[in-house]
Amino acid sequence: MSNPSHPGARAPAIQVSEEKYSASLHVEPLGTRVQFRGTISTVNPAGVLNPFVDQVHDHLLKAGAKDVRVDFTELEFCNSSGFKSFIYWIQKIQAAGDKQYRLRFISSPARKWQRTSLLALSCYSPNAVEIG
Amino acid sequence: MTTEKNTTTRPIYLMLRMKPPWVFVDEIRRFVESFCSCACPGETREAQIALAVHELMQNAIPHAGGESIDLTLQVDPIADRIEIAVSNPANDEVFADLKGRLDRINNEPDPLRSYLRAMAEAPMNQRGGLGLARVRFEAQLELSITREGNRITVLAWGRLRAPLLQVHGGTHV
Repeated sequence: MSNPSHPGARAPAIQVSEEKYSASLHVEPLGTRVQFRGTISTVNPAGVLNPFVDQVHDHLLKAGAKDVRVDFTELEFCNSSGFKSFIYWIQKIQAAGDKQYRLRFISSPARKWQRTSLLALSCYSPNAVEIG
Repeated sequence: MTTEKNTTTRPIYLMLRMKPPWVFVDEIRRFVESFCSCACPGETREAQIALAVHELMQNAIPHAGGESIDLTLQVDPIADRIEIAVSNPANDEVFADLKGRLDRINNEPDPLRSYLRAMAEAPMNQRGGLGLARVRFEAQLELSITREGNRITVLAWGRLRAPLLQVHGGTHV
């Protein structure tokens, strides 16, 4: 399917899904958005999420992105093991040298845990994390 | 006769005994959040308490070996106190490992600093290493561990009316 903001371009089919959660990359007029949905609470979600992060990161580097929206509005919960995939993502960004980009998190006011978790993430890497 | 005043001036307890598997953790977290909303109307700690219960439960499950895990939650609006206790069977090695991790977390007076250190040091491709530091900072609860017989209990406690979470630079939530 063609992307209206990038004539001739195709939205990359980067996505993962488990029984209780999914993650997908969307190329939109406002830029790239990575959406997380559901409940990340399995024993070791990094086994699923880290390869997804790798693919998204490679895509953003190739696209020369300056930022990416990370959409948490439909993420009910994320356990600490899943949270580590976002730390893993930040560490990849920090290692990207002059190709670094920012993660602009879109949170849900109804999911109060997101405020404290994203606050901690922004403290971990103020340069790579922005809370919307 | 029980009056409404009486019911709100006593500590409120929730006690659960459960066996694994993992599938129940989400339901317990949701139930605890709902329970706290009802038990402490007007307070805003329910999501933090639910997060803490979730993390402590997930820490306990791998070590329970099919035996029961006990959760006790106590909220006391008068004393301005929350207490969560999660107990499970554990051998000497598990107890020593967990106590060592807790000592390391508690030796750092600043919960955010110990959380950031855990983020930097936690293995990225396997579970574990972050949950307890997350509870201490995000849920604003102190942590300790005790052992009785073959069971260990991780205790998390703090104020019901915790101040806004502050970090260097003035950000708060």
